[in-house]
Amino acid sequence: MDPSIELQQLRKTYGDFLAVDDVSLSVRPGEVCGLLGPNGAGKTTSIRMLMDIIAPDSGRVLFFGRPRTRAELSRVGYLPEERGLYRKMTVVDHLVFLGELRGLSRRQALPAIDSYLDRLELADWRKSKVEELSKGMQQKIQLIGTVLHDPEIVVLDEPFSGLDPINQGLFKDILSDFKARGKTILFSTHVMEQAEKLCDAIALIAHGRVVLDGNLGEIKRGFARRSYRLVARGDLTLVSTVAGIDDCLQQERYVRLLLAADVDSSSVLRRLVDLVDVEEFRSEEPELEEIFVTAVRNAGLDVDSAARRPQ
Amino acid sequence: MRLPTARDIGIIARREYRARIRSKGFWISTIALPLLMAAWLVVPSLILSKTRSSQRLAVVDVTGNIAAPLVERLDEWAVTTAEQVSFDIEIVAIESDAEALRRRLDARVLDGDIQAWVWIDDTGLRDNTVEYHAESLTNFITQQTLERALSSVIQRERLQTGGYDVERIGELIRSVDLETVRVSAEGSKADAGIGGFALAIFLFMVLYMTTLLYGNQVMLGVLEEKNSRIVEILIATVRPLELMLGKLIGIGLIGLTQLSIWVATALLLTAPALVGLATALPENVEIPTLSVALIAHFLALFILGYFLYATFYAMVGSAFNNPQEAQQLASLAVVFVVLPWLFFMPILNDPDSTLAVVTSLIPMFTPTLMMLRIAVKMPPAWQLLLGYVLTFASCLAMTWLCARIYRVGILMYGKKPTLKEVWRWIRYA
Repeated sequence: MDPSIELQQLRKTYGDFLAVDDVSLSVRPGEVCGLLGPNGAGKTTSIRMLMDIIAPDSGRVLFFGRPRTRAELSRVGYLPEERGLYRKMTVVDHLVFLGELRGLSRRQALPAIDSYLDRLELADWRKSKVEELSKGMQQKIQLIGTVLHDPEIVVLDEPFSGLDPINQGLFKDILSDFKARGKTILFSTHVMEQAEKLCDAIALIAHGRVVLDGNLGEIKRGFARRSYRLVARGDLTLVSTVAGIDDCLQQERYVRLLLAADVDSSSVLRRLVDLVDVEEFRSEEPELEEIFVTAVRNAGLDVDSAARRPQ
Repeated sequence: MRLPTARDIGIIARREYRARIRSKGFWISTIALPLLMAAWLVVPSLILSKTRSSQRLAVVDVTGNIAAPLVERLDEWAVTTAEQVSFDIEIVAIESDAEALRRRLDARVLDGDIQAWVWIDDTGLRDNTVEYHAESLTNFITQQTLERALSSVIQRERLQTGGYDVERIGELIRSVDLETVRVSAEGSKADAGIGGFALAIFLFMVLYMTTLLYGNQVMLGVLEEKNSRIVEILIATVRPLELMLGKLIGIGLIGLTQLSIWVATALLLTAPALVGLATALPENVEIPTLSVALIAHFLALFILGYFLYATFYAMVGSAFNNPQEAQQLASLAVVFVVLPWLFFMPILNDPDSTLAVVTSLIPMFTPTLMMLRIAVKMPPAWQLLLGYVLTFASCLAMTWLCARIYRVGILMYGKKPTLKEVWRWIRYA
């Protein structure tokens, strides 16, 4: 089956500033894909190119295997990172307006609006002005506006930033519901834990490039066989010199080791024992964060500056 | 599921229109603006005519035969005509020490006991002058009234001294008035010109004020969308150009609604039935008539002028983060809207002069100045056509240019952009 969303070698520069270098990505129908990376890595620019808000310098965007047309954007529900509402409009008028922009008629929009308002416990606020609502309520209205027209694809840019825990839960419920109904979801976040819980697939992005992407389970399994936790005393800087260790990350309480693909773990342990006082050495699935750092290093990029400052 | 562009523009325009027509601000400005304008035109002269300032004057008459008739003449005028100044004159006898008297009178002026003192003597009269001493010399109305009264009294005095029949001469030297008749395609009719003048200034001012008013609303609207970040949600399905045009059309329709209300009210007030009631008005005040052609030109020029300036305001709004920042560049538009005032009187005086033709064909000025010319005297058809074509072309050019800046600007937050950066945005696209 053709992917729902396909980004092919997107590139975008602003003058001398390279915002997105080379982003390719495909999301299969019914999949939840997380676009991960630090702030400034190029996530928002990629999503804006996906949504035809800005034009790429090169590369293209496909929906369902065909070049995306402007009209197809109405099949997408999009929640931008920076989002707002008209303060003086009533809740119902605002949602009708957003529904109309996404191709619904007023008559089609109203039942969907009422059902969502009921579900998110906002029915009493139907006729209130947006400015009378709390920030959390306004976030719910924004989410309703995103999914009101029952889109095939939902694209969310940092959907959880600024949400209180209750709304985070509600957002996740609605996204799970969409996933259950076979919709495709792409969202970006810089918080890796959120992605671990929600995603089927991930794309790690740094310096405007996708450094690692694929099914989250497969990626983690691929790393898990080679990943070890080391707790030791002594001069830990010596650890990285050990043959057979591809990468080592100094964490607060332990060192994450990533062994070379064909190396025997016991031989690595023997070499380690000679150098430091090993207290603990065991196979352990790495954190997504650690996978990210390794992927950035493997791509030959600088980890500390993985996030570049936007212009 | 295809979304035609016109549909999106329509949705944006409708939201804009609804939000504004429901707001109190719209209705307040609909009522307040004409009142304000009327006040601007009427109040100063009303204040001047209602507040008859009373002037206390001391008159020293060395000749001895001017002061008494002067008081008589001024009293007479105070009763018969609507003079704006009334005089309370004290005749001061001449003393042997003229210098001392002068000093004493100066002191009384400084004390506020009198506003001025007048010195009439033969030396002055030979040069046709009378001395006037006061603390403030800007009260031209007082001075003019006094001058006329003095001239009249002195002329009479001289004629009498010369042995002429004053009454007879008065009849012979009566001044002549022009009886003005306006020639137009609809036929000639008596017209004092005041009605036409009032209409010209009224239409000119409405265009001038609405251009600034609605342009500013467009700018604030764009800034609001940018600041609330609603724009991010909108441009997921609406192109920036559609968003900008929708906004311009929505606010433009609000403008047309407001103008229609004003025009309808004006038509109602000048309807024959009401004019009949207004016969109590003084003879020389005429009620100008609003012809269909005039209203059509007015609306067309309003639409063109609005688009020309509102696109600029939309661009300014998109480029900046708050009204304070935006105001700087927005004042550039104000300059262009205000400049036509410079040509107002010359064009009124000669609506076919080269100056009038040239300035009214400059697109930025066409809306107001062409309106002025149409109100005074219908310009030749080719000039009207050229004016419309040039202004329309400028609207398209402005829309193209501003849309390029707008679509980059609405997504730029944070620091105030420099002009160089804005220039770069035009080339991004």
